[in-house]
Amino acid sequence: MKTSFLSKNQLPEFLKILQLFGKLHAPTVTDAGVTAFAALDDPSTLCLDYQRTQIPPKKYLIPFREELLQYRDDTYRQNEIKAPEIVLFGVHSCDLEGIAYLDLVFLGDRPDPCYSARRAGLTLVGISCEPDDFCFCNGSFNKVPCDLFLTARQDGFEISVSSTKGEAIAAAAQHLLTEVQPFPQTERPTCPIHPQDPELRFSENPLWDKFAKTCVSCGACSVCCPTCYCFDVREYPSLSGGGSRMREWDNCLFATHGEVAGGNFRPTRLERLRFRFLHKYCGFTPLDGMTSCVGCGRCKQVCPVDIDLREIIDTQPNTTPELP
Amino acid sequence: MSQTSHGIHTPFAATLLERRDLSADTALFKVAPEKAALPALSRFVPGQFVQLSVPGSGEVPISPADLPNEDGTLELCVRRVGHVTGHLHHLPAGSKLALRGPFGTGFPIREMAGHPVLLLAGGLGIAPLRSLLFHLIRHSKEFGEITLMYGARQPKLMLFREELSALAAQGKLRLYLTVDFAPEQPSGTFSCTLGLLPDLLKGFSFDAKRTYVAVCGPPPLYRCLAVELEDAGVEARQIFLSLERRMRCGVGRCCHCALGQKLCCTDGPVFRLDELKQIPEAL
Repeated sequence: MKTSFLSKNQLPEFLKILQLFGKLHAPTVTDAGVTAFAALDDPSTLCLDYQRTQIPPKKYLIPFREELLQYRDDTYRQNEIKAPEIVLFGVHSCDLEGIAYLDLVFLGDRPDPCYSARRAGLTLVGISCEPDDFCFCNGSFNKVPCDLFLTARQDGFEISVSSTKGEAIAAAAQHLLTEVQPFPQTERPTCPIHPQDPELRFSENPLWDKFAKTCVSCGACSVCCPTCYCFDVREYPSLSGGGSRMREWDNCLFATHGEVAGGNFRPTRLERLRFRFLHKYCGFTPLDGMTSCVGCGRCKQVCPVDIDLREIIDTQPNTTPELP
Repeated sequence: MSQTSHGIHTPFAATLLERRDLSADTALFKVAPEKAALPALSRFVPGQFVQLSVPGSGEVPISPADLPNEDGTLELCVRRVGHVTGHLHHLPAGSKLALRGPFGTGFPIREMAGHPVLLLAGGLGIAPLRSLLFHLIRHSKEFGEITLMYGARQPKLMLFREELSALAAQGKLRLYLTVDFAPEQPSGTFSCTLGLLPDLLKGFSFDAKRTYVAVCGPPPLYRCLAVELEDAGVEARQIFLSLERRMRCGVGRCCHCALGQKLCCTDGPVFRLDELKQIPEAL
């Protein structure tokens, strides 16, 4: 059994082939110095040795703000969704796992029309990565959900195809690929993130208090999380009479998240951190018992006050009372 | 009025037929949805909610206060308390609205069949229970004795009191009304006890083993009523509570309405007490 190999110097040509399948987006560094997925108009701006982008690729599937409905003459109409064909190149396995989780949420029972349209237009080309101190991924590299996956080898990439879209790309790029002997599978130390016992959110771990006191409710952990999808729905009337109903990212760390007219079900930061813990590591129905943390390390990296909710899992409190 | 495609986000058009003030800040809105909404509305189970749209303001989850008529018209009892409900209260009859749904779980009317049913309403909580009450009365042969205990802060905040008293006078239900305090002198036609709902329950003798209980009211009420009911001998799995959360999408996605690992919009809003006991955040 042979495997396909793309040599490094053929990468620019390979990118040209990818462009036949949609607008090419890839990790680049913005003018502000931020690593971000963006349209790759100039191939020289490709940044493949990145650790993680600031915002995960969820932005392609759930835009920060999108129009759900328009209303005119007091009648609501569904906005026609024009989802562009996009080839997202250079996605790490953690982010691919993140998209797979979002697929479960938005394509399950009563599929979301906006998400479905965007997802259908998205081709995913993954790439292997080198973990840094913030990473703690599952390392399920052999079965990452994508169309095509590139594993970095000496002087090039081993290519694995995992969908019909991927097959079509590989066929179109056949002249760039060579058949080589399979590479030995490399094992990498991984730190699997198991679903947690929901009771842990009420554990007597002193870290809960510490986190509740230091959390600034900035919500950065949720904004940059590949699987955070909470949204709010707002209506924006226009002066001309009509208006739009928009869906916008919301954030469970914000005080407004649990608000109802006349009250708030999660007024304290402790309650909101517990809510986040529960959603990330235990899951909400119908995905309860499933962790939605993919180990990308973004939340840990961006938190301005160094909160890492996983410490609650790692450090069980010492139940033996200390002697005076 | 016709709409070709109905995605999960698109509401059906509806018209506000009339409004009737029930108290200073609460009114009953009679809403007529377009025909296309009827198939979904015909499956309405008391306790479910609809997402009512007020164009230009947004959507709010409202649990209908009546069973939908054959022509689909609904009665929605709404308190003026937020952005959307504030605008709704300013609308004249004939205004255009829209609605999606119904969503969520309702009260277990099949399971309740053959059993006495006790309804416990606090304040605005009478609204969802009124649709259950109408269902029970309409199919009274299928159910045991129907009792409604309804508590309000004061007599003028007691909604539907003439209507409920009339039904009680016709022998359709046993009715107990109570108010927290009575600054006004109750008129001759209206009498009720003074005290909280749990106090009313204390002096009530009923077949606790067989009775199904439906509760709707403000959160503090649930905590004490749950204790009282269980003390009286009602099984936790026969007690049903309708919970309020901030349901934005109605289809289990936006995550605002989570209680523990459950979502109020799809797993609720009506929950069994024994289920809620597993969720410390719920009550």
